[in-house]
Amino acid sequence: MVNLKKNEYPIEITPAKNIELPNFRELWDYRDLVVFLVKRELKSRFQQTLIGVFWIALQPIIQMLIFYVILGILIRVPTEDIPYPIFFLSGFVVWQLFSQIVNSSGFSLVANIGVISKTYFPRLALPIATTISSLVDFVVSMVLLFIVMIPNGYSLSLRLLLLPILLLITMAFSSGIGLLFGALMVTFRDMKNLLGFILMIWMYVTPIIYPISLVPENYQIILRLNPLTSLVEIYRWMFLGTGTIPPVFQLFLSALVAILLWLLGAIAFKNMENKIADVM
Amino acid sequence: MAKKAITIEHVWKNYRLRHQFEGPSSSMKELLNAPFNFIQEKVTKKHNQPQTNNIFWAIKDVSLEINHGESVGIIGRNGAGKSTLLKILSRITRPSKGRVLLHEKVNSLLEIGTGFNADLSGRDNVYLNGSFLGMKKTEIDQNFDQIVDFSGIEKFIDTPVKYYSSGMYVRLAFSVAVHLIPETLLLDEVLAVGDAEFKEKSNKKMMELLSSGATIILVSHSEEAIKEICKRTIWLEQGELMMDGISDEVVREYNQFIKIGHA
Repeated sequence: MVNLKKNEYPIEITPAKNIELPNFRELWDYRDLVVFLVKRELKSRFQQTLIGVFWIALQPIIQMLIFYVILGILIRVPTEDIPYPIFFLSGFVVWQLFSQIVNSSGFSLVANIGVISKTYFPRLALPIATTISSLVDFVVSMVLLFIVMIPNGYSLSLRLLLLPILLLITMAFSSGIGLLFGALMVTFRDMKNLLGFILMIWMYVTPIIYPISLVPENYQIILRLNPLTSLVEIYRWMFLGTGTIPPVFQLFLSALVAILLWLLGAIAFKNMENKIADVM
Repeated sequence: MAKKAITIEHVWKNYRLRHQFEGPSSSMKELLNAPFNFIQEKVTKKHNQPQTNNIFWAIKDVSLEINHGESVGIIGRNGAGKSTLLKILSRITRPSKGRVLLHEKVNSLLEIGTGFNADLSGRDNVYLNGSFLGMKKTEIDQNFDQIVDFSGIEKFIDTPVKYYSSGMYVRLAFSVAVHLIPETLLLDEVLAVGDAEFKEKSNKKMMELLSSGATIILVSHSEEAIKEICKRTIWLEQGELMMDGISDEVVREYNQFIKIGHA
């Protein structure tokens, strides 16, 4: 006999209120679902292809080659004495993680409408699972970065110990943005088409393919307003030792902003999931 | 007094009708148009009329009490609100007014194989489907052998389900669902799938669940299935509760109503 989990009974089902908070305890009860969703994501992506990891690595490799040829060799963008491929990859790993999380969380409700309209479970499990599975691509890109770094005289420094904290901040921030898009997409279907453009523009206003020093000082403020800019710079500092050491206070502040943003996204998402079965 | 399973108190549910010509992006258009409409309304002094003709009431003031261990069928014509009611009880959608109390663990089976992924093996799908239905990994572990046994597809359990025949697929999915051992099980026409043999097997399993004390609520077009499994039947007509009583009587009345209606 299955031992069914304890819940507070009776469960009351009432009309949706204007603002409801996500039920994190219930989400915790469904943690096994998150694990299986992550497995589903990874297995269905790679089970069919024997060279699965190769396909993940191909994305950063191709991007790196394109930008290396165009910006590194042809246009010769000055990258503060860092070889262009290393400069690019050290920023691209962050961008890839961010854009993948935003995109997959953004689509998580509309892409899973089949299960959403047939069974009850905390819908937040879906974007959380895609956020976790994005880490695989991050790790592959990072290993690629290391492979390019080491023959060029860079070594892996102790600064990498900061990676777990930085990753958590990046994931919370990206997931928060993704959840907001996910909520918007339910009622504003045009968001499906817009999200790709928004991400494309966002990438070019983040110093990934060019250094911020290339931008005239008057305009640097635009890039500074983009929270990803400081994240990319912190990662570059961590990988390569460029720039200045971020003050602890700044890390703390970004963590706080990321957490608040995630909570905001989760609340928006929760309130949209109340409607999704009716509008889709 | 009998132990309660589900209490439904004055539940209403409405949907806003969307017209096809509005297109899929109506919400965005509405948002962009809102300021212009507002100005237009001010200029033409037309007040914001409540657009009641756009609202469709799928459930109108339904109140019910279902006791633990009861087997209740829900009948009604297409659009009577049967599935909407089931969706409210399954917590997929929320009521517009009123409230529902679930006094015990409710599992819903509105579809066979919810969340099945074609690329994954039968084994992976059992775990995925089970966890979508609210089971924990350890619970699925404990029941895994029984689930596979009941489905009768041991040999193919590690094959991706896209290579399954539709019969194998349904058997595996149904097997996961009935091994939930719920206190209350909500079913929406799922018994209608599969061949005669499978239908018999699933009906048998329903009876087993009932005798073990579970509560079953079954929405079906099949009067036989309802009469066979359910002692009590609820008849919905255009979102309203028409009749609630012993299955044979309700089904008879319902059939008479249909005959008159179509004569």
